[in-house]
Amino acid sequence: MKRACLFLALPALAWAQGAGEKVFAQSCATGYCHGARGTAAGAPRLAGRGFDQSYITNTVMRGLPGTAMPAFGATLSRADLAAVIAYVAGLNGIANPSINLGPGPGAAGPAEPALPAEAERGRALFFDAVRGFGRCSTCHEVNGVGIPVTTPIAKIPSDAAALRALLTPEVRTATVDGETMPALIVSQGKTHALFYDLTSAPPVLRTVDPDALKIAEGSAWRHSSVIGAYNDAELTSILAYLREVIKP
Amino acid sequence: MRFLLVLLAVAGAYGQDGATHADWPHYGGTQFSWRYSALDQVNTGTVKDLLPVWMFQTGDYAENLQATPIVVDGVMYVITPRIQVFALDAATGRVLWQYKYPTPRPGKPGGMGFVQNRGVAVGAGKVFFGTTDNYLVALDQKTGGEQWRVSVDDPRQCGCDITAAPLVVKDKVIVGGNGGDAAHRGYLTAFYAKTGRLAWRWYVIPGPGEKGHETWKGDSWKLGGGAPWMTGSFDPELNLVYWGTGNASADFNDDDRLVPGAKGKEANLYTASVVALDADNGKLRWYHQEVPDDLWDFDSAYECVLIDRAVNGRMRKLLVHMNKSGVTFVLDRVTGEFIGAFSTPEVQTWISGITEDGKLVGRREPEAGKVVNTCPSATGAKSWNSMAYSPRTGYIYAPINEVCNDLTSTPTEAIEGRFHADGQFSLKLPPNRTTYSHLDAWDPIAKKRVWSMPYRYILLASVLATAGDLVFSGDPEGEFFALDARTGSKLWSYQTGAGNRGSAVSYSIGGRQYIATPTGWQQAITGAQLAPLFPDQHWRGGSTLIVFALPAAARAASK
Repeated sequence: MKRACLFLALPALAWAQGAGEKVFAQSCATGYCHGARGTAAGAPRLAGRGFDQSYITNTVMRGLPGTAMPAFGATLSRADLAAVIAYVAGLNGIANPSINLGPGPGAAGPAEPALPAEAERGRALFFDAVRGFGRCSTCHEVNGVGIPVTTPIAKIPSDAAALRALLTPEVRTATVDGETMPALIVSQGKTHALFYDLTSAPPVLRTVDPDALKIAEGSAWRHSSVIGAYNDAELTSILAYLREVIKP
Repeated sequence: MRFLLVLLAVAGAYGQDGATHADWPHYGGTQFSWRYSALDQVNTGTVKDLLPVWMFQTGDYAENLQATPIVVDGVMYVITPRIQVFALDAATGRVLWQYKYPTPRPGKPGGMGFVQNRGVAVGAGKVFFGTTDNYLVALDQKTGGEQWRVSVDDPRQCGCDITAAPLVVKDKVIVGGNGGDAAHRGYLTAFYAKTGRLAWRWYVIPGPGEKGHETWKGDSWKLGGGAPWMTGSFDPELNLVYWGTGNASADFNDDDRLVPGAKGKEANLYTASVVALDADNGKLRWYHQEVPDDLWDFDSAYECVLIDRAVNGRMRKLLVHMNKSGVTFVLDRVTGEFIGAFSTPEVQTWISGITEDGKLVGRREPEAGKVVNTCPSATGAKSWNSMAYSPRTGYIYAPINEVCNDLTSTPTEAIEGRFHADGQFSLKLPPNRTTYSHLDAWDPIAKKRVWSMPYRYILLASVLATAGDLVFSGDPEGEFFALDARTGSKLWSYQTGAGNRGSAVSYSIGGRQYIATPTGWQQAITGAQLAPLFPDQHWRGGSTLIVFALPAAARAASK
């Protein structure tokens, strides 16, 4: 694994701090947190605190456990991280920050390297909040976003028709208290059985007494019935997105 | 028989019982949200003898204890910000069961990421609560064993979370969420209590083709905020659920969201509004927008107090609602008709006034490139902590803060799930004052302040009213106190050892009345923002529940 070291030359530094100001304004400066230019609000002042470079980098990347300061390392893009760290370094009088973000992949989210146009359309559709619980991410996690109800997507169907006709042998039929429902079994221990009730979206993770749960193979549940919010063209874009981000 | 029927009809029309009795079953006491107990063993005569009888330390000290305890059949249910749920013997504090939610998945940086929890809901044999990663969870009320959980939204996409107590309504449990200051489209979601399956969702912002959608510019409706982040009320007779909605996003700049020419009219529906929804299907029945085109972060998310009172000689079903600005609206809760409004802060510069029909006039708006000082501040004339209502006095009781702010307005791009305030607020104390808050009694029909207890710092605890004609609340210095509900004079006070930011309740077991209050000053968000205004303060964090009752001799004397 490569270690990404960013030694910022002066023009790059000016750029990073300018970009960092924007990231800071969006992610850190709220009145609930550090305030404009880190002058303190609901969270402590960051400007002129004499923080050293490694403290700033570590805190931004890993957060401060036990406080409201989150770890940004896994969620902001590498470029945004470098920029905001350079900006906070500037607030602390560090003229030439050398920013070592450490190993690790880039983060999920809109600042990812640009996708081809169709895949980008597919990404937006996959996570489309306007579709409420009808969106793909109600049950699938991709690139660190979405609810991992199912195991990670490994095989990508060839086209929209195949996506609709997808076979789901892992969905079985559970009976609890005389009620029958399509179910995705998570675990069956001695004291607890966990399964997702797929009767309606969103899936409900239920914990029941294993003795009260009866499981039969097969179910009336169909993937086609839960992706009805999308038309074929949209599903085609979604598949293009998945092909971009999921590599076998 | 006919006489009895007439009596029942009158009871139905006028005998509204919004008081709690032995239990404290809902967040707001009852679903009418009065925060009023009919118990009167502790009263203006006996309160001087009130003593602590047990304490419970949650051990969860990184944040404070904000939850309203729920008490049902002698068992108290309380939740901490790190999502530990405790069932306690409400007479002794002994732990009956304990549940710890697994470490939540992180939210989106720049989303709100609140680590707070304002309470559980109890019903259908279950204990319900929301989580920082947007799950709604149901536990077995008897054992604390998890029964179901459902993801309401992914925090890594929406930048939102749940801090409000859910509301149990018939066979459903309804939950709101945060995210109104993030680029996120707010909603209320109802799940079936038994199974966790979705019952309905109501989006604060109407979608294409729905009425009200035209009040949004372009695509701004998709990320326009409005999240209803507190707990609503319910009128079983009307079958209506009432909820306050959050502010539009972005907070301090409307360039992206205001339709050209809409200035001064209703805008960005149904943000900063009180709404009535059909409890069975979540359909909107009526709305009243309190702050059209909000630019001050003046949410309408707070409690809806449902009271039946005579107005001009006619009995009316009313809803009393305080906006974050301190402007308080009285509405007909059957139709949404505006009845009256009054403003509670003494220093008010964001508007010059309110018209007879409830319109805001003389708006002093933030402007890009300028610093505009307005009062009250974005932390609110009142925060999320609840007011109380006593049917004995007819007054509402609310803590009001006198803090201003310098607003700046900076348009930025909305990125889904990221904080989207479009500006900053910097808190300032108003000049020429020595006190910066007051606990007030208001007659909401006469729109008159009856009494006011000034306080030198700020007040951020909820209020409890009781049939003993007492009003309980607490201050950041740690004093938990009782006032005479009719005069406001302080009758009793107890130093709890940490600041008060929670919500006191009352209940009884075996003929003994208890008063319980969570303690611990909030070290983040509002509590932390306000603290630097007072360099001499020593407000302390903590996470302890303190329960008071009368000793036997005083109880005998109160009979």
